[in-house]
This record gives sequence, structure tokens and C-alpha cells, in this order.
Amino acid sequence: MQAPYYNEAVRRLFAAPAHAGDASGITADVARGGAHVVLAADLDGSRIVKMRFRVLGCPHLVAAAEAACAGLEGQPAAALREFSIGDIMGILEIPVEKTGPMLLLEDAIGALGQQIISKDSNRS
Amino acid sequence: MTDSDALYLDYAASTPPAREVAGAMAACLSGREPFANPSSTHASGRAAGNAVDEARARLGALLNASPRDLLFTSGATESDNLAIAGAARFRAHRGRHLVTMPTEHKAVVDTFRALEKQGFDVTWLRPGTDGVLDIVQLEAALRDDTQLVSVMHVNNETGIVQDIGAIGALCRDRDVLFHTDAAQSVGKLPIDLASLPVDLLSLTAHKFYGPQGIGALYVANRDGCGVEPLLHGGGQERRLRPGTLPLHQVVGLGAAAALASERQADDLRHMQVLRDQLWNGLQKLPGLHLNGAPEQQYPGILNVSADGVDGESLMLALEPLEVASGSACNSLSKEPSYVLRALGRDDALAQSAIRFSFGRPTRAADIERATDIYCAAITRLRALAPQAAG
Repeated sequence: MQAPYYNEAVRRLFAAPAHAGDASGITADVARGGAHVVLAADLDGSRIVKMRFRVLGCPHLVAAAEAACAGLEGQPAAALREFSIGDIMGILEIPVEKTGPMLLLEDAIGALGQQIISKDSNRS
Repeated sequence: MTDSDALYLDYAASTPPAREVAGAMAACLSGREPFANPSSTHASGRAAGNAVDEARARLGALLNASPRDLLFTSGATESDNLAIAGAARFRAHRGRHLVTMPTEHKAVVDTFRALEKQGFDVTWLRPGTDGVLDIVQLEAALRDDTQLVSVMHVNNETGIVQDIGAIGALCRDRDVLFHTDAAQSVGKLPIDLASLPVDLLSLTAHKFYGPQGIGALYVANRDGCGVEPLLHGGGQERRLRPGTLPLHQVVGLGAAAALASERQADDLRHMQVLRDQLWNGLQKLPGLHLNGAPEQQYPGILNVSADGVDGESLMLALEPLEVASGSACNSLSKEPSYVLRALGRDDALAQSAIRFSFGRPTRAADIERATDIYCAAITRLRALAPQAAG
């Protein structure tokens, strides 16, 4: 039997992405190769209290963005800079040809972390 | 296994065998009806041979062609290969220039690519933005050493219909063979080979409610027209396509052809109604683009692109609607359709294209449901996308 191209987790997260939308705090906007990711985070001090995403891209990218936002919410802001897409790629069984969109998401999360650093250094 | 909730609107990919077709094939497979090798000379073989003759006659009646000009093959891909490579070799002593279009089915495109590697010179004519071949452009491309032109009748992705009468007449006037891949039109649009100047025509049964794995090639019986066989090993099919004929599939094709002869006009009207209903329903959404002009399209196919959505996500969001995507050769490819790119669509629009295709079993309620599913999917994906993309 042919293995499903989208595993159950991808299908579930794609069908009902609870973190799709906007937040009022910092944002990162990255586009490449026809895919587009916008991330937004609200912070309470150094903690991420709300993560939201918007995506134009494949189901794997939507599901990965949803998984990343869900995982980062409640974490310290430093988690953005330490984020690696590898775990999510494993859980969602992302095929190798989708590495490009996954790196786009990783870049967007990294850019969000960079914005927090810039904001903090401006403040100090 | 199929999803009971599924809504199948992919009849351009394959149609289900009609009840009459399945019945005729089952009778063959049961051993009650002719089952023997149609080439055998004993009574059972002759009975099988008679069943083949009847199927060939039924197909001939559908196309208004002499049955002796029809060769059974394994399907349109084999017919295309035999027609193009076979005719190129048959006429190679006269010249090695061939003409086709990049918007043809892969079975045609890849056969011409293989011939290029063998030293044939191929001119690739691009269609206008309406998808139609400009006959003046074709005339300019013909040379003294041109031997074959191949242009499909109905495009499998867009439903665009080429004027095979005018193309064939030009070719006939210039003593050039004309092949048409009619996989999407046989049994659906009227085809009269007694009056159309077509030399070679490919078809497959499973596009008109026959079984998969059986097709035919028409080879006109006139001077200068012929094909070199690609296979060797027996005298079947006038030595042009050897091998024992699959009797049950041949009988199935014949039954499908007979049914198409009866139903074609009604089917065509049915397709028109369904297509209009779907397009009228979809137009409540902004940012949709019809791929191809309706007056030049077979109404059983509707191809639509949408602004601001990813094609792969759209395919998943459309489930349980079963349609075809705008990706080139399979639903998981991210490569935008080369056919839609040739029509001038950019990558994003070509990649978001969905081909709806209708069949005899499709009802107005199915179209209503498909409209709701498509509109909901587009609305949801646009809401998910960054604002600039929507």
C-alpha cells in the first residue's frame, strides 16, 4: 500500500490551525520560492504569550507553522533564537523535497527572535 | 477502496466502465461467451475473431471509419507512440522534419523528444493565449521535408478544441501526414473520419466508459500513409501491432463505442449544462480565472485558477472532492502545468489551477456540492494567507 503523503498530524493541523491569524506584537515576514510566511508574537516581558501565523504555501508548511506556533507559545523569547525545524520535520514526516519551505519557516522564526533582540537593545 | 463521501469530478482522467461494458466483458471472462485466441482457426477461435470484428465495426461506426483501418492497442499512449514514431520512420526516406506543440499530452511530447534524439528535426509551435493553434503559423512552419504534424483534438487539461479539419486540410494539401491524439474527444464529440482529413488518430477506451488498457489507432488507407511497427512477433493487427488481442477488453471497447454512438449528443448537452452551472456558481468568488475560452472548449472540462492560494493546499482542502490539479504530471508535483504556462499563465496561477471534468453520472446536485466545497476551500486558504497574497 502506498504511504500517505500527508500523515495524520499534517492533516489535523492543516484542517484546523488554531494559531492562524494575527497578533499585535512583533512580526516577521519572509517569502521565497512562491511561499510566504508571516509570524507575529505578543510578549509579556521575556515570555511569548501569543504566537500567530499566516502562510501561503503547501499543507506541510501550514502544519509546520501551526506546530511551531503552538510549541513556542508560553516559552521564553530566547526559544525563538534557539528554534530548529528538525523536530517538527520528524513529527510531521516532512518529505525531503519540502525542506525548502521548512527552512523558510525556520528563517521566519529566527527573524522574529532577531527583532526581539533589536527591540531589547534599543530599549537598553 | 474509495471514500464513500468522495465526489468524483475527474472523468477526463478516467471514466467508470458503463454497465453494458462491464456486462459484455464479464460474459467473455466467464467462459460462456467467446474466450479463445481470436487468431486461432478452430471454431472457438473463429467465434472470438467474430467478437473482435464486431467490436471493430462498432468503433468504426462511432468514427465513420472503415473497421479495417483501426488497430487495437493498449491505449492512447501506445497509439501515440505507434502513430508518431511509426509514421516518422515510415516516411524517413522522404525527410526528417516533424511538427507538434508543447501543449500536447506527455505521450506525444515525449515521443517527439525521443525522435529528436534519433536525429529528427522537430518544430514546436506554441498556441496563442487562447490555447488554439494559429493555422497561419502552422503553414509557415511546414517545409519541403516535413513528414508529420501532430496536434491533439481536445486538450486534456483545458478542454481546448483544435480545428483538426483545417489543420488536416493544410497537411493533406502539402502531402504531410496528420496525426491527432483524440483520447479526450472520441465518444464525446462527433468525429467523422470519412470526411475529416486525418491520417492517424489515437484513442483509448477508458475515457468513454470502456475498460482501461485498451485503445486503438486509426491509420488512413491511402497512398503515402502508414506506420512502421514498433513491436515484432506476430501477424496480428495487419502486422503493425503484433500480440494476442485481449478479447474481453476489445469487446468492452466495442460496447463502449456502441453506447457512445447512442449517447453522444445527449452526453454533450449534459456536459454543457453541468459546466455552465459550475462556472456560474464559482463566479461568486473574486479572483478566479477561466483557463481557455468557453467557445473553444469541450464542455466536459472546466479549468480554473485562483489568485492567492497554493495549489497543493487547495487540492488537500478540496477533499473529498476528486479533481485534477494544475501540476504537470501528478497531483504531488509542484511543477506548474506546462500547458497552462504555454497559455501565458504565471507560475502561481498555473499552480493553483484545478481541472473539473464531468461524466454521465454527474448530477446537478454534485455540481452544487462541488461549488460549495471549492468556494469554502478558497475562502479558508485566502483567510490563512498573508494579506498581500490574498
